[in-house]
Amino acid sequence: MMRVLLSLVLACLVWAMPAFAQNGPLRIEITEGVIEPLPFAAPDFVSDNAAGAEMGRKIAEVVAADLAGTGLFREIQPDAFISRVTSFSSPVQYADWKAINAQALITGAVTVDSGGKLVVRFRLFDVFAGQELGDGLQLVGTQDGWRRIAHKVADQVYSRITGEAPYFDSRVVFVAESGPKDQRSKRLAIMDYDGANVSYLTDSASIVLAPRFSPDGKRVLYTSYESGFPRIYVMNVGSVQQRVLESQDGQMSFAPRFGPDGQAVVYSVSRGGNTDLYRMDIDSGASTRLTNAPSIETAPSFSPDGDQIVFESDRSGTPQLYIMPASGGEAQRISFGQGRYGTPVWSPRGDLIAFTKQSKGRFHIGVMRTDGSEERLLTASFLDEGPTWSPNGRVIMFTRETQGAQGSASLYSVDITGRNLRQVPTKTGASDPSWSPLQE
Amino acid sequence: MNLGQIISGAGHLALIGWAVFGGAFNSDPMPFEVTEVTAISSEDFAALMDGPRAPDAVANVETPEPPAEGEGAPDLSSNADAAPDSAQPEAAASSEPDTAPEAPDMVPPADTEVSDAPPVLDPPQEDAAALVPEISPRPQPRPAPRVAPEPVAQPDPDVKIDDVDQQEAAPDETSEPVQEDTEATAREEATTEIVTEAEENDVANAAPPRSVRPRTRPERPAVQEDTQPAARPQTDESSVNDALAEALGQSGDEGQGAPQGPPLTAGEKDALRVGVQTCWNVGSLSSEALRTTVVVAVSMSEDAKPVASSIRMLSASGGNEAAAKQAYEAARRAIIRCGAGGFDLPVEKYDHWRDIEMTFNPERMRIK
Repeated sequence: MMRVLLSLVLACLVWAMPAFAQNGPLRIEITEGVIEPLPFAAPDFVSDNAAGAEMGRKIAEVVAADLAGTGLFREIQPDAFISRVTSFSSPVQYADWKAINAQALITGAVTVDSGGKLVVRFRLFDVFAGQELGDGLQLVGTQDGWRRIAHKVADQVYSRITGEAPYFDSRVVFVAESGPKDQRSKRLAIMDYDGANVSYLTDSASIVLAPRFSPDGKRVLYTSYESGFPRIYVMNVGSVQQRVLESQDGQMSFAPRFGPDGQAVVYSVSRGGNTDLYRMDIDSGASTRLTNAPSIETAPSFSPDGDQIVFESDRSGTPQLYIMPASGGEAQRISFGQGRYGTPVWSPRGDLIAFTKQSKGRFHIGVMRTDGSEERLLTASFLDEGPTWSPNGRVIMFTRETQGAQGSASLYSVDITGRNLRQVPTKTGASDPSWSPLQE
Repeated sequence: MNLGQIISGAGHLALIGWAVFGGAFNSDPMPFEVTEVTAISSEDFAALMDGPRAPDAVANVETPEPPAEGEGAPDLSSNADAAPDSAQPEAAASSEPDTAPEAPDMVPPADTEVSDAPPVLDPPQEDAAALVPEISPRPQPRPAPRVAPEPVAQPDPDVKIDDVDQQEAAPDETSEPVQEDTEATAREEATTEIVTEAEENDVANAAPPRSVRPRTRPERPAVQEDTQPAARPQTDESSVNDALAEALGQSGDEGQGAPQGPPLTAGEKDALRVGVQTCWNVGSLSSEALRTTVVVAVSMSEDAKPVASSIRMLSASGGNEAAAKQAYEAARRAIIRCGAGGFDLPVEKYDHWRDIEMTFNPERMRIK
């Protein structure tokens, strides 16, 4: 009997054993970390000849600039390198790269094949883990297209480390501006996302506004005053051929934007002092009226699935943001903060809407959930407007105009966290950017 | 007539008499002038009296002879007067034109908005200790390239960035060198939250709408039971062991791998947690990866360094496979980087931290 009682008491004690001893591994939970750029090293891509070496140096520079430009990475300057990469296949001296705190290492090689094609290979290493991240990759292109190859290398590195979709190999169509404010000439221009390779699509004979890329990046919608009043044109970017979309005399058409299928176009029509939204099939030219209100409805933008449209309306007295079905119907207001809201653009991910906000005499670029919650203002200046999303929905580009008669417009980009605000370099003034999808 | 009336009558008479006759007897002193007089001698007086006199008239005045005829007229030649030597004053050096006074920098007053709406106060919770002031001073957040649990002030630009603050040390010329030269280091500037451009100068956000309420009294910690085994009767030891083994349904050989000795204290666990989180960089993670919690297992060597080859992901939740992979790699980098020098763990408790499971939960790091 005594033995049974003793067994019961001890069993209870053992059941409550955690206070006495630890079974299994030690468990801890980490909930606080740091947010800082990840240091990386990108030595010049190696080559077996002088021409290739120069190309390798330039490619490494563009890769490093792409990554550092995100604000998520920090380039370690080459003069800090301990180890030199002389061969693409030689083993990595991890200790040397650890010593300079390089957490990622990008190595590459450049060759020109017998057909004159540029062949670029690269590898990515996690220095502290002492292993390669993903497989090596080889890219082939023309020598003139070396910048695109560099962007693609950077895209691969960016995606492998962050898990985000890439966006470096993309372009931006915008309005290039020159001259004083009261006599400013404007023409359409297109460039790489980082401001390189600018080319012009129109001359400065007539004012052009608000270009918008098609989902495949091959066409551009824009508004032009070529006929004396605003009309919508569509241009093939490759051939630079343009045609006017359906338009009637006495009405002004503007603010066009493609739907996700590339067939539908939503835009505003101003007739008799009233502005409403219309939807058009771009091939047939058949249009449908989406709103019918005495207020001003403009700046429509499709959701990525094409089911809804977000737009700007002053039906409540001040410009606010509304969402309605893509076929028209009852609209639901989503912006309720102080100030005026405009130029909404749906994120390619579908989770956020970027907008322009005017409040207390300043302009802001901000983002909010599609139900209007979690509004966050990312910028503040004399005049910020016209946001456009990067293809992966991580970065927003917009127009910033400075104050005064000599003020000029330029392009800026900002991460959706509100960090890494930086100017996009352009040779002339620039406004109304529209980001293309990732190039094929 | 009594004495008082007599005195009164005499006094009145005296007063009337003084009023009537008193003024006549007193007179003001006669006005007089004071003249200064100077004494002079008789010669001086005579000289004064002789003064200039008019000349005596002359009776006979000779008439001058007319000039003789035939005499040529005198030459009337004259030389032009020499121009007076009037030296022109040297022109003074032209003075610098007065510079226009600089307009003082006029800073326009900031626009203020005054709302008539009364502040809305949330009803206090039941356990609220007291209402707190609506506005309390709070340091203005500013943007920094690094977000960390602890804010770090902007270091001197000449100071090297390191994980710890360290004062510069240089040899003292007057004494024996006892310390090597060490470069001054400081931790990299960091802030505890992301500050956007819109928030950077937002004065309205300089103060919180309300102060943090006082925390409720912490719960009394659980009583730590003595981990030392109590003295047991010698006679019952074998029977107790048998009973324990029987109760657990285990043989006496099993359970030998369980760590012995006291477990890690809360402070020792916190030191390990802080040691890892300072290297857990989620800044380069995607939004999807920031929604993914991963559990990572790692084996440690006795010098408190992680065995890199032992690091593996046990589980992941909240994101897709690709996001889990990114989150795991960030966690692995944190363990290896911060463990390269060995974590701060007590060697005598090695059995307790030989194997560690770390849960990396980025929920609080999404948007700060």
